[in-house]
Amino acid sequence: MAEGESASPARTLRPEFTGSGAEYFRVWIVNLLFSLLTLGIYSAWAKVRKKKYLYGSTRLDGDTFDYFARPEAILKGRIVAVAAFVAYALAGELYPESRYAFWGLAALAAPWFIVRAFIFNARNSAWRGLRFHFTGTPGEAARVFLGRLAVTALTMGLAYPWYAARQKRFVLSNHAFGASRFGCDLSTRSFFGLYLRAGLMQIALLVPAGALAFFAIWALRSHQSLAMLAIALPAVAVYSAYAVVYGYVQARSANLMWNSAYGPGLRFSSTLEAKKLIAIYFGNIVAVACSAGLLIPWAVVRTLKYRLSCFAVLVEQEVVHEADPGFARVGATGQELGDFFNLDLGL
Amino acid sequence: MSVLRARYFDGHRSTAHDVSVLVGGGTLKVVGRDVDLRFDPRRVRVAPRVADAPRWIYLPGGGACAIADNDAVDALVREGRFAPFLHRIEARPAYAALALALVVATLWALIDRGVPAAAEQVALRIPPAAETVLGRETLAAFDRYWMQPSALPQSRQAMLRAEFETLAASAGGGPPHRLEFRSSPVIGPNAFALPAGIIVITDQLIALAHSDAEVLAVLAHELGHVAHRHVMRRLLQGSATALVIAGVTGDVTSTTSLAASAPVLLLQARYSRDFEREADRYGIDLLRKAGIPPRNFAVILERLEASAAAHRGGGVPGFLASHPPTEEREALAREAAQH
Repeated sequence: MAEGESASPARTLRPEFTGSGAEYFRVWIVNLLFSLLTLGIYSAWAKVRKKKYLYGSTRLDGDTFDYFARPEAILKGRIVAVAAFVAYALAGELYPESRYAFWGLAALAAPWFIVRAFIFNARNSAWRGLRFHFTGTPGEAARVFLGRLAVTALTMGLAYPWYAARQKRFVLSNHAFGASRFGCDLSTRSFFGLYLRAGLMQIALLVPAGALAFFAIWALRSHQSLAMLAIALPAVAVYSAYAVVYGYVQARSANLMWNSAYGPGLRFSSTLEAKKLIAIYFGNIVAVACSAGLLIPWAVVRTLKYRLSCFAVLVEQEVVHEADPGFARVGATGQELGDFFNLDLGL
Repeated sequence: MSVLRARYFDGHRSTAHDVSVLVGGGTLKVVGRDVDLRFDPRRVRVAPRVADAPRWIYLPGGGACAIADNDAVDALVREGRFAPFLHRIEARPAYAALALALVVATLWALIDRGVPAAAEQVALRIPPAAETVLGRETLAAFDRYWMQPSALPQSRQAMLRAEFETLAASAGGGPPHRLEFRSSPVIGPNAFALPAGIIVITDQLIALAHSDAEVLAVLAHELGHVAHRHVMRRLLQGSATALVIAGVTGDVTSTTSLAASAPVLLLQARYSRDFEREADRYGIDLLRKAGIPPRNFAVILERLEASAAAHRGGGVPGFLASHPPTEEREALAREAAQH
């Protein structure tokens, strides 16, 4: 880590997205077509191609990122994930008790596949010819994701901010660019403040939403033709309240995390505005719902553009980063399982 | 000899070098201020072109070059047939529009035809015994929350049971089934099929019927659900549709992908209506075989509709309903009655 003069960085590098929603739509739709025509087999190639587009259109200090995962590895992972999903869905419907066994097994295996997912993604991402790395181990992941989660459950969720902060710190501080490790001194206290505000916000939004729901059901109970409205209105109100709090937590926690992160000779800055991010999420939800999903590429690009525009790398000292000499090849099963069962591991 | 401007990275250090890549005479040279390398072009790997993102060239030994001029790279290398084809169609809006039309058509065919057909084939191959536990659990859940034991005298239950078995016997006994009587003011006059061939009928429905023939008409319809394995098919269709949606919406956060799945709810309602029609046909066919006028089905449906309307005052629009419009079903039953 760089010593001293953290006051004014020598250079501020702002990433920039050079692609466009229209261009990404074309890549997305063509690859989606091939995925559908091949009954999903091509989806592994499609995933790599879409990532290549997004990485290749993201420029930092004049150079773009590169993504070079092998589609065959992703296909293998997807086959495992689909098999697990089908087994879970079917067994769960026929023998409801099997769900507990499944979740128990998944919890035990989770640290392993969480770590493999990060390794796979980091190893296959590069900038300036150097691959990223992830150095966390399943043991540490088990401590962070399972142990601390258990504590959170025991405290009736009161320890959740502590858990969230440690999780973020674990993920970030185990990443490396080549052999240059990142670090993070994210304070747990800041996360308690953040989640306290988020909790109050949720109550403040859910009380009127609940009141509205109650009123709607009461007012419309005798108007059968408006019955759909009585169901839809409260759902929309609750969903909106959730989206607002989600956007707020996303923006603030990303800021807290990146602003306390560092690497050799560098620091980071994240200045996401909760209001803007929430507005973007709402726009996305409305656009995606109204277009039956066709505006997904537009939503992806728009969100990415905003997030990148608020991010900066502060170079305090010019350091030549070196490659990590070790090389471990991991499969994509962990990542695909995580994707499939909707584990939100994102930074 | 062609000359391309590029950024060179040696793969060991993060230093960027501005270089020229020279191709010709059986060699590929990378030349810059402090770089002077030569490679066998056959051992150099060129990444496929994606839009206009800088093109990566991977050199033997771990180095790489990023070249901004994609067209120049295309002119130099042949990278098989599929990769250039892919880029060509991704680059033109007209092809994207065509792909869009094909995606919509394929998705429609897949969800509207492919998924139900596949689910039917699979469901018919799963032994009904596989549903036993699910049937027990579901009935227990209904009993816990919404239903009480039937208030009908045992003798009346036994009579209806016997009549139902006689009816089923005219279809060779029908699929394995079990009739359950329950009382439920919450559910009201209703009958429904649960997994494992369990058919539940409420006291409220029996009270609403003017004759046993009407009760049997409803039970014949429910037996149709059992015979066509609708519970298992709905389950399989739900999972398969979820898989398709997960595939399409793969790259958005969960909040947004939930929004993308809204149209699927409408589709699910359609599946459900198709099942009702199938059960209607089975029921009417069964009634006719047993010599009970199918008109009874139309009559009880009409009365059910009237009772539901009195309860809530109206009806959900047809495209949202999980049942086909009652008029349509009555017409079906009346038409059947004339043959």
